[in-house]
Amino acid sequence: MLLEGKTAVITGCSRGIGKAVLNRMTAQGASAFALVRREDAAFTEHCAALSEKYGVDVRMVYADFENENAVTAAAREILKTKERIDILVNNIGVAFPQRMLAMTPMEAVKRSFQINVFSGMLFTQLISKSMMRGRRGSIVFLSSSAAFDGGANIEYSAGKAAVLGEVRRLAVELGGFGIRVNAIAPGLTDTDMGGITSEEVKAAAMSRNIMKRMGEPEEIADAAVFLASDLSRFMTGQTLRVDGGLL
Amino acid sequence: MTNLEKYNQAFVEALEITEDQLPGLEYQAIEQWDSVGHMGLVATLEDAFDIMMDTDDIIDFSSYEKGKEILAKNYQIEF
Ligand SMILES: NC(=O)c1ccc[n+]([C@@H]2O[C@H](COP(=O)([O-])OP(=O)(O)OC[C@H]3O[C@@H](n4cnc5c(N)ncnc54)[C@H](OP(=O)(O)O)[C@@H]3O)[C@@H](O)[C@H]2O)c1
Repeated sequence: MLLEGKTAVITGCSRGIGKAVLNRMTAQGASAFALVRREDAAFTEHCAALSEKYGVDVRMVYADFENENAVTAAAREILKTKERIDILVNNIGVAFPQRMLAMTPMEAVKRSFQINVFSGMLFTQLISKSMMRGRRGSIVFLSSSAAFDGGANIEYSAGKAAVLGEVRRLAVELGGFGIRVNAIAPGLTDTDMGGITSEEVKAAAMSRNIMKRMGEPEEIADAAVFLASDLSRFMTGQTLRVDGGLL
Repeated sequence: MTNLEKYNQAFVEALEITEDQLPGLEYQAIEQWDSVGHMGLVATLEDAFDIMMDTDDIIDFSSYEKGKEILAKNYQIEF
């Protein structure tokens, strides 16, 4: 198993790519702190089932990433366990329907950045302390193909590009602690987020995609497992594009 | 071990220096106390005193003396 004995912190596990990452990482032997916005009976059951099936610990932590105090409290709750964290997957993200900057209130831009950039950065600042102690770790950020091609609305594309700058800088800062930092830039993926994309944008994305289909959340999760595991031990500061070959 | 001894030992261990270097020692005044050394020192202090330091305190921790002040004021550690 690729992640046996490791502990992962994964944000945005309730559905979509985050849930697939949780499933795949526990299947590979990792215990997990699964961050979700709120308590949910079905998700609690899902975590218990993963725990039982793979013989790992899956603990839920609740936080709304729009609220910095909640982000700090969640990180503290995890750090308080004193468990050594090996993997952090910053997956939480929000997208809004496509519109021009001219029609986008700055409040919406700030809100998007809060969730897609600032809260993930704050959370990483806190969780990476555990990794620095252990002098090892792998951090994976979910960016997007939109960071390269502007294929989504302005605040999302800009925020996902900011994540790439963050990844490169963090890789430099944390390299001395044996911590690797990489990003995944998925193309259009079949999740609720993928679902809000307009038919027009979808068609445009498909026309530029060699494989002519959307990605499956598990296909993105497999890339996260690779980046979290020692298979990628000589990779840091990189962005893995998992997008079916966007031209 | 007294709190002062624990505090001094954290510096000695984390920064690989001797106790006589401690009085007046400032962040970045010696090679070992760079930002990487600083985070190692913070981790050692957190373990030694079983505390979790706030980011603002980690930033303000600019010298051996200032660190003592922060631990006393914000984490109720008596020296
Ligand atoms: N799907 C795509 O086409 C695509 C393409 C490129 C990049 N990505 C990126 O991949 C990541 C995962 O996307 P996805 O497709 O899985 O999205 P999704 O299906 O919409 O799921 C988003 C996840 O983020 C959580 N989340 C959103 N806002 C939150 C908040 N304020 N506080 C706490 N949790 C919050 C959601 O929790 P709730 O269930 O509580 O809302 C959910 O777990 C995102 O960073 C996204 O930008 C996705």
